[in-house]
Amino acid sequence: MHIHAYEKLWLALSIVLILALIGTVTYGAVGPGVAMVADSQSTIDAGGIDEDERFSEPRVEQVGENEYEAYVVAYQFGFEPTPIVVPANSTVTLQVTSRDVIHGFEVAGTSANTMVVPGEVSEITVETDEPTEYGIVCNEYCGAGHHVMEGKLHVVSQSEFENRGGDSE
Amino acid sequence: MGQNEAVHAGTEDGGGDAEEFDPIGTLTLIGIYFVILVLAWVYIYFVEFLGRDLVIVG
Ligand SMILES: [Cu+2]
Repeated sequence: MHIHAYEKLWLALSIVLILALIGTVTYGAVGPGVAMVADSQSTIDAGGIDEDERFSEPRVEQVGENEYEAYVVAYQFGFEPTPIVVPANSTVTLQVTSRDVIHGFEVAGTSANTMVVPGEVSEITVETDEPTEYGIVCNEYCGAGHHVMEGKLHVVSQSEFENRGGDSE
Repeated sequence: MGQNEAVHAGTEDGGGDAEEFDPIGTLTLIGIYFVILVLAWVYIYFVEFLGRDLVIVG
């Protein structure tokens, strides 16, 4: 069988393109450590959130050196706590759940984005940089007030974070 | 194998006819598409996606 030289080139470039696409995604996973939102948490009772030790009191907690955990509850129509205050240059794990219907949790303009399902805990870990303020939007239609459902994520300096912690506790 | 084929084509298929079909315009166009595709992917993945804040790492 004779294959035209251009066609061979076309086949070769197609293979290069496929390998490059797989390669870049692999690089993303290995280099910067991009991960997916996984089903890593066990289910909880969506109606019994008031008794859940994490979600009865939505908050941000230090769990290690420079590691923080934020317990966030989405509801019709908002997020608790508002704002979610986390320190700069730290690793923050957000555990988000819903006490009513399916919501979305998207830190606007960033890659932090997950569905929030009642009875499930969506867990995403992110690394914060400089102090800044982000908006949070619900990106799953959740009822009449969906369009006003928003939250805030404030990344503050380490010292400011410690001061706030002192005030509220 | 490639070489073998080339020789084959030259001797038995009369090669000339087949090799005269050189759609260089189409090749150029596809080449331009290819470059656009690669540049777009680099931009979408490395600049827009990895360049954003709060990349999910776990
Ligand atoms: Cu919502």
